[in-house]
Amino acid sequence: MTVIGRSWSRLTLPGKVIFTVVPVLLASLIALVAVVAILGPTIVDILANNLPIVRFVVAVTVVLLMTVPTAFLIIYMEMKVIALMNLRIGPDRVGPFGSLLSVVHGIKVLMKEDFTPTGADPIVFTWAPVVVYLASVMSLLVIPFAPGLFGQDLNLGLLYFFAIGGLSVVGLLMAGWSSYNKYSLLGGLRSAAQVVSYEIPLTLSVVGIILLAGTMSLNQIVLDQGGWFTDWYLFRQPLGFLIFFIAATAEANRTPFDLTEADSEIVAGFATEYSGMRFGFFFFAEYVNVFIISALTVTLFLGGWNAPFPWPWPVTVNLDPANLGVVLLLLVAIVPLVLTLVFAVPFWLASSRIKGWQALIGGFVLANIFIVAVIGAWAYIGLDWVAGIVWFLGKTYVLVFTFVWMRGTLPRVRIDQLMDFAWKWLLPAALLNLFVTATAIVVVGK
Amino acid sequence: VINELIPGLGIVKGMALTLRRFFEPKVTVMYPEVRVDVSPKFRGRLQLLYDEYGTLKCETCFQCAQACPIECIDMGGMDTRGRFHVHWGAPETYGERREESALRRSGRPVPDPAYRPFQAVDLAKVEAILETYDHDPAHLLAILEETQAAYGYLPVAALKRISQLTGTWYAMIYGTASYYSHLRFEPAEAADQAAAMAAHRPAETAYLAALGTALGGGTAQRADA
Repeated sequence: MTVIGRSWSRLTLPGKVIFTVVPVLLASLIALVAVVAILGPTIVDILANNLPIVRFVVAVTVVLLMTVPTAFLIIYMEMKVIALMNLRIGPDRVGPFGSLLSVVHGIKVLMKEDFTPTGADPIVFTWAPVVVYLASVMSLLVIPFAPGLFGQDLNLGLLYFFAIGGLSVVGLLMAGWSSYNKYSLLGGLRSAAQVVSYEIPLTLSVVGIILLAGTMSLNQIVLDQGGWFTDWYLFRQPLGFLIFFIAATAEANRTPFDLTEADSEIVAGFATEYSGMRFGFFFFAEYVNVFIISALTVTLFLGGWNAPFPWPWPVTVNLDPANLGVVLLLLVAIVPLVLTLVFAVPFWLASSRIKGWQALIGGFVLANIFIVAVIGAWAYIGLDWVAGIVWFLGKTYVLVFTFVWMRGTLPRVRIDQLMDFAWKWLLPAALLNLFVTATAIVVVGK
Repeated sequence: VINELIPGLGIVKGMALTLRRFFEPKVTVMYPEVRVDVSPKFRGRLQLLYDEYGTLKCETCFQCAQACPIECIDMGGMDTRGRFHVHWGAPETYGERREESALRRSGRPVPDPAYRPFQAVDLAKVEAILETYDHDPAHLLAILEETQAAYGYLPVAALKRISQLTGTWYAMIYGTASYYSHLRFEPAEAADQAAAMAAHRPAETAYLAALGTALGGGTAQRADA
């Protein structure tokens, strides 16, 4: 045996792992640095020349990644809020206040058997949840989250939104048809009938806004609503808002119009034969839809990322951390320490029973809260996209809460009531709204 | 009338209700960690239960008698020679239960002569009585006496109604009613019938008389009489 072989056999298992992994990591790091150093400018050049493509890829990735925590959050919100409204406590075991329960649900769904029934069309059966989920995710691309923070500012954004959102019907029909189960097929047709019926008043109710704004670009519609909250389209299109909200509830299959998956009455409608993560995709898409519908309502009627009123005492912070140079390093190094000591002093002085290390812990916690608050305030004031996203998500989640609240309150309608309401009430009301808006624009002007 | 004229008012009311509930204190008890504060004397309602055939569900397992902190539960009867025994053993070894045990083991329903199905009574009378006493449980004895005067006995439904309307524990009402010997839980005819049946068992009557003398009271009464 050679010297190398003998030394290798003397190593323990962790030693062997470290001896192999560390050099490989080092080598790849060096290779990466070399590649960046040599090819970096070229890569940056290529990316800069194809900025729209890069932007699109990044936007799709971010939106796809964003939907998962969003769905988790809304599922948790639904469980917790409905429980509180039922005088129950709701999830409280996993994570703080049970907030990780929806993550556990996700893991559970992943671990379940992914079953395809005999006789089902495996290709269509597999792609149906993907179509439903992607239809939800893709429609997020045109929603402006904050100034400059949107996937694509299409000048036909609203049309794109409804077109892509309407694709989910295809997914539902695919799921119902490919399951090789007459109840799935019936459920799929039922869902399609509902979604298609409500698509019409939903689309008609926003035509008034298109007339008022003169554009279908969602970003432009949001910009039109700047200033005070009285400029929001909610106050110029109250009937339109009402119709849109009701139709959107039906479109997202939420109570009181959740007949597609009336979980207390029918098995699961179109999703009867689905299990495992393929069912999970339908489930996720439902909650992503809630977010999307709320986001679109906020964008169209509630001013998007605009604050309700301009801040009466405008503050400008001309602080660019990049210009601070070494001072920034010193700040990062010293300020937390100093603040911890400063905030520990009151604890130390408050009572002689509080020991020094306890006061330090209290000071550390307070200092962290203070630093986060200061940085947050600086970001809110200095970066308008931070302020925008705060307002946008705040309004959106208020609407999500409203959807959950409705689910906790309202009983489900019958299928004939559902259809009657869409065709006999919502559609005439939407047409009325459209004609009144058009007349007002002609007579009074915008 | 105005409420029906405004469309959607019901929805608004319902939404307001759930929103109020959202902020109200919750009723859930986190059971293994939190225990409800009940009276240490509370053992639930003492009641012999019957299945759907009218068969007494009691298997004479004596777990309830062993658990009873004040040893008020006992199961006894006369054996085939007229001697009183407490049943600490298999039920089929006792005369009055032998046929029943055979029936029970055969899987057929065992009829019980004491079985009476729960009968709903007209609660208006007891509610009127409670109204005159201002739903005050301090007058419980008077309420119970008037209830007995109104119905002829104290129906379980009436006792439950008293418990609901006065907010008193059912156990307190039941305890009060069972403490006084002039209050009865069955119609007078049923009690008479039980006494007439007891007259056919002379040894038992003699035993109860002797027991009563030994305890220094009057004539001891069978619990079901």
